[in-house]
Amino acid sequence: MTSRFGMVIDLNSCVGCQTCTIACKHANDTPPGVQWRKVIDVELGQFPNVERLFLVTGCQHCAEPPCVPVCPTGATRQRADGLVTMNYDTCIGCGYCAVACPYQARTIVHEQNFYYGLPTVQEVKTAHHDRIGVANKCTFCIDRVDDGLAQGLTPGVDPDATPACANSCIATAIHFGDFNDPDSAVSQLAAGGRAFQMHEELGTDPQVKYLYGLDNSTPGRAALADDVDEAALQDPGNPLVGQMQTFWDWRAAMNFTLGGMSAGLVILAWLAHVTGGLDQDSLGIFNVIAGLGMAVGLFCVFLEIARKARFLHVLIRPQTSWMTRETYAVALFYPALLADLIWPSEGLHLVLAVSAAAFLYCQARILPAAKGIPAWRAPLMPWMLLATGLLEGAGLLAIAADVLPGAEGAAVMAAGAGGVLAVLNAILWRNYIGAAKANGIGPLARAVLSNLTPGLRIVGHALPLLGFALFLSLFPEQPFVAAIAGLGAVSGGAWWKFTLITKASHQQGFALPKVPQRGSGTRAAPARMGTAV
Amino acid sequence: MSTEKRETKKVPTYCFQCVSGPDLIKVEVEDGIATRIEPNLNICGQHPGKGTPCVKAYGLVQKTYNPNRVAQPMKRTNPKKGRHEDPGFVPISWDEALDTVADKLKKIREMGLKDNSGYPRLAVSFGGGGTPTRFMGSFPALLAAWGPADLGFGAGQGVKCYHSEHLYGELWQRAFTLAVDSPYCEYVINCGNNVDASGGATGVRRGAEARRRGLKRVMVEPHLSVTGAMSAEWVPIKPKTDAAFLYAVIHRIIQERGWAEVCDVRFLKEDTTSPYLVGPNGYYLREPETEKPLIWDLADGRAKPFDANIEDAALDGRYTVTGLELGADDEVWRHESVEVKPAFQMLLDHMAAYTPEWAEGECDVPAETIRRVGDEFVAHARVGETIEIEGETLPLRPVGVMLGKSVNNGPGGYHAVWARTLLSVLVGAIEVPGANLGTKVRLNRPANNKHLSAVSSRDGIMDFPFNDTSKDGWASQPSIRNGYNTLVPLSSSSPWAPALGPAHLPWLFQKEAPDNWPRPTLPDMWICYRTNPAISSWNAPEVAERIAEFPFTVAFAYTKDETNHMADIILPEATDLESLQLSRIGGTGSGEQFWKHQGWMIRQPVVEPTVDAMDMTDIATELCQRAGFLGAYNMAINKGAAGMKLVSDTFDYGLEGDVAYDRDEIWDRVAKAASHDLSDGEDIHGIDWFKEHGYMLRDFAQREWYLYPYLKERGIRFELPYQERIKRHGIQLANRLHEVGVEWWDKQLKDYDPLPKYESFPDIWTDFVREKGQDPDDFPFWALTARSMQYAWGANVGLPLIYEVAENVAGHSGIILNKGAAERLGIAQNDPVVITSATGVTRGRAVLRHGIRPDTVLMIGQFDHWATPFAKDLNLPSLNSVTDISLSLTDGTGSGSDIVRVSIAKDTAR
Repeated sequence: MTSRFGMVIDLNSCVGCQTCTIACKHANDTPPGVQWRKVIDVELGQFPNVERLFLVTGCQHCAEPPCVPVCPTGATRQRADGLVTMNYDTCIGCGYCAVACPYQARTIVHEQNFYYGLPTVQEVKTAHHDRIGVANKCTFCIDRVDDGLAQGLTPGVDPDATPACANSCIATAIHFGDFNDPDSAVSQLAAGGRAFQMHEELGTDPQVKYLYGLDNSTPGRAALADDVDEAALQDPGNPLVGQMQTFWDWRAAMNFTLGGMSAGLVILAWLAHVTGGLDQDSLGIFNVIAGLGMAVGLFCVFLEIARKARFLHVLIRPQTSWMTRETYAVALFYPALLADLIWPSEGLHLVLAVSAAAFLYCQARILPAAKGIPAWRAPLMPWMLLATGLLEGAGLLAIAADVLPGAEGAAVMAAGAGGVLAVLNAILWRNYIGAAKANGIGPLARAVLSNLTPGLRIVGHALPLLGFALFLSLFPEQPFVAAIAGLGAVSGGAWWKFTLITKASHQQGFALPKVPQRGSGTRAAPARMGTAV
Repeated sequence: MSTEKRETKKVPTYCFQCVSGPDLIKVEVEDGIATRIEPNLNICGQHPGKGTPCVKAYGLVQKTYNPNRVAQPMKRTNPKKGRHEDPGFVPISWDEALDTVADKLKKIREMGLKDNSGYPRLAVSFGGGGTPTRFMGSFPALLAAWGPADLGFGAGQGVKCYHSEHLYGELWQRAFTLAVDSPYCEYVINCGNNVDASGGATGVRRGAEARRRGLKRVMVEPHLSVTGAMSAEWVPIKPKTDAAFLYAVIHRIIQERGWAEVCDVRFLKEDTTSPYLVGPNGYYLREPETEKPLIWDLADGRAKPFDANIEDAALDGRYTVTGLELGADDEVWRHESVEVKPAFQMLLDHMAAYTPEWAEGECDVPAETIRRVGDEFVAHARVGETIEIEGETLPLRPVGVMLGKSVNNGPGGYHAVWARTLLSVLVGAIEVPGANLGTKVRLNRPANNKHLSAVSSRDGIMDFPFNDTSKDGWASQPSIRNGYNTLVPLSSSSPWAPALGPAHLPWLFQKEAPDNWPRPTLPDMWICYRTNPAISSWNAPEVAERIAEFPFTVAFAYTKDETNHMADIILPEATDLESLQLSRIGGTGSGEQFWKHQGWMIRQPVVEPTVDAMDMTDIATELCQRAGFLGAYNMAINKGAAGMKLVSDTFDYGLEGDVAYDRDEIWDRVAKAASHDLSDGEDIHGIDWFKEHGYMLRDFAQREWYLYPYLKERGIRFELPYQERIKRHGIQLANRLHEVGVEWWDKQLKDYDPLPKYESFPDIWTDFVREKGQDPDDFPFWALTARSMQYAWGANVGLPLIYEVAENVAGHSGIILNKGAAERLGIAQNDPVVITSATGVTRGRAVLRHGIRPDTVLMIGQFDHWATPFAKDLNLPSLNSVTDISLSLTDGTGSGSDIVRVSIAKDTAR
């Protein structure tokens, strides 16, 4: 039977000494600030009822790794034995895997740096230039495992076939081995029923399992509501709290904003055209405008890629990656746009509109696949991105109808669709915000979103709805009314998407559904009067 | 994934940066460059830590290549010394450096080794815990050959160590430090002993194994330490009231539960001094003819000498007996039919008032918690049970009591250590499987076998090498500036004694001379090695000022630091991975070093020195040769000053008189002598063999872990609960001191109490604020410190790698405050704060946590650097900047505590 390698980590053993952290840094030559293995120092409860524990974190080598399907290049893969691998020569450093990981396991180092500024001879000797600008993470010391296996050794038993962190652990808290071998230490330990997987609800099936209970001294308990209360989750110094991700910044946001609204414009303009509101020439102009907008967005995201020379690797994984698929939609869109400009036809108009819709749909799927960012992975997110892209498209169409001679006819279509979409967006936003806590969005991100909501409701929802409604009902001869509504629609869409990506994108924190029963006051282990050990 | 295969070698060596070592490691070397550290798993089966080193060992590669290393010998050009003076160090050759130091040594020899005050002209300071000897090669032979040197200028000793445990621990159970017998222990009361941060890789591993087996630990401490985190229960006690807690636990056991019901009565009667009768003057009542202490035998209703055939010794009651008392200074009382009590009855009377309710008022721990802890303790003690160890049946008492730093030193330390040892004794849980065990001896001799010193005194208890307090024997002239042999009878006179005296007094007296005491003088030369008192001492800023007053300081230096900032000559020694030494391994030792093997291990040059550094052995040899005492130095090595005697009845690897041997030759001979000794001549290896294999072992019996069987064989009792010897020495010491007009040690003399009375120890620090002319209400918080495993003893604050990983452990980035208390003060996470005491100030960032009492703040480790590269830019606080050195804060053993009253405010200066 194929092996399934994984770890069992004992919360009752780990003392948070960081020996595994530093042993990993030695074994894997990680640069300053990069810790593939990290032990965080956690507090639960409040004085005088407090528990402190140490949580070993790192890549969980999930059986269903969310980082693998999102990777557009195939640099991140999963082996038959469960190890989630990195190919540094393929990776473009787009960061998608990093935002997809709910365990904060991945880093990207953009330039070589050294502990004392200038490199020491040891740092020169152990530098890995191939790891610059690409995603990094714990490999389970894959070379040791493979070399050991090649020598007939047993990972988890023979140190030469076992990850450095497990070998180095001074508390025997980290165990490595084959979960498919029922006799392995990890299988035996996990079989005791006192193990949990972190964020099991995300369906990642981590192959790192945490032991939390000892019958004789610190039996396990389920998490209490006030273990980690709202105040604790608002504390940026709390290691359980996910911090703002730094992988995708304004450059990614530009793609979602400009790309989304441009695709929406193409679709709405085509709808206006087929419903008779827009002539072919105006449609062509709108499509060119959309093409330019989308290009700027794509150029921005190109700037975000760390390994730009490898950008074509993005095409490698259409099987699973929405980022790859988005690129294919782009690859369809621009030839279609060019062809439609040279040989305008209804068929090409349709192809163009379909490719724009495909692009918008891919975008709508990209963010939710980032399981590492609770605010992005919410169930309504695809619908919100679709609805907003279309609303923005309607908004742009309404503006264009006002400013471009000959496009006036599109205003009604734009206003009609825009009004409906404004309502839809408002409903979606309300539901998204209402379910934010339930969907695991933490208070730091929720606060950002809440701060945004009043303005968004006015600018992005009420203004478009009111403006489009007034245009359709009272001021049909005043397209600027629709244009103002359109301006609101575009602004609102851009605003929330920018905010979502650059300000509300806190990483998934760490959670402990079960913990050892220990600590002070009400959290202390039960009294024990000489129970046999 | 890089698949390039590199040609590498892995070199065995050791890390002994902390006292809980050694950790055996392998260093990967590529093309002559050390690249990585890994565990030496070859010794997995023998090393109690399974061959894994702790986090600090992994800093050694960066330590080697630290660009801030002192690159060559240097001399000072600015004669003015001080924190704000530029030393003007300029590079010099090794020849010039060694000649300068040797010339100075020669001049000192010509003047006489002692000055007009009777103090050694040469002073030498080493870092704590004896770990520097694991790195200084043959340098101890230089000191042995030299003659009197003052090793008593402290770098924090006393306040930073387990001081009362060192002294009383050796007195009562040959325990310089203690550990619980983790492989068998079930229940531990731990008052602030942060063993999961301080116990090294071995302590952590054994502790984790014990928890998995079922050990339950109750951690009693003001903040939730790493060890508290790993305990079943944290009891947040008011600082410095641990003795009250322990007294009440004792009360619960002997009074409320009833000693006869729950204690190990047989043990108390047969194996302790509990039944010794105490006369009206507080001394044992003795048989007039033999002067042996008497015990009342209930079987036939009469008193008998302790070593007579006693059927049923009385532990309680009052008896009318004839006998004599031997008091202080040969005072004798002869009694006819006087009413006396067994020592245990004295204890019962003494402890009657220390109820859990009383303790609750003192230490802020609910009485019901105290009662439960007492009940759990006796429930797990398994009184009467036995276990077979290596074919021998021994008592099994799987309960322990641990005390942390600042609990067992400074005022109240004696009380806490007495209460701890008494708790063990009550249930027979001392020096038997599962119980509290001594790790090693430092005051008693021989140093490498804790059992051999356990010989009986005439009173049937372990003899102890007290410093004499009799009229004829008292050392009225202190041998060194800290006066350990004059002031502290318990500090003994072993090579370790100078460091275990009041090591802070030299700094204090240098500032202000005490009355009727030899004039404090400055040493003509001060050598410091692997120590930084200007950071690590209590009141470090002031110690830095005292160091600046020294006329000639030689500092072995790795990087610039706050102490060598005042140096005249700086000598860069080859560091951990660059130098050669053979060192003992195994047996029993600090932390939880309980081995089933013993032998020798090597620390070897893994790489060539990256700077113009010399090996300590070569430095010592060169200095001795240039200063003209090479012969004595070689003889000292022959006698074992490098760790192993080279000449014995069965072998002779000795060095010739006046020949200067190089490093490898000296250690080759040590290696041969060591392996010869270890294998009884069967398996003799030179240093090259050790370089390849790393270590050499032979079996060490587990029975050696336990002292009790040895005492039993020799008919020796544990000297608990009553402290007759302490009482006698206290009175005699008071007499001696008063005879010469020394009255400034009177407060310390109160500690010589045969049954220590509790006093409200926190008040000592509150009163100290008043002594400084300030209002205690202005300083409403207790400031404490805690061990950092990542840094402790490592001299590694200049390593950014260590800083990076230590940051993951809360508190390494600032000052830990209770979250609720901080919010009331308007202090938010990471705010800059200023901590002010009556005598000092320190600054840092607020780290808000729930695991600390609202009246307490905590500063981990020792920082506040101002000269050490990298560290000086960290802006980390230090308790040492706000504590003060004072006789008011010094206990009878000459130690203080890491505790001070402080105020906290947002730091508006930042």
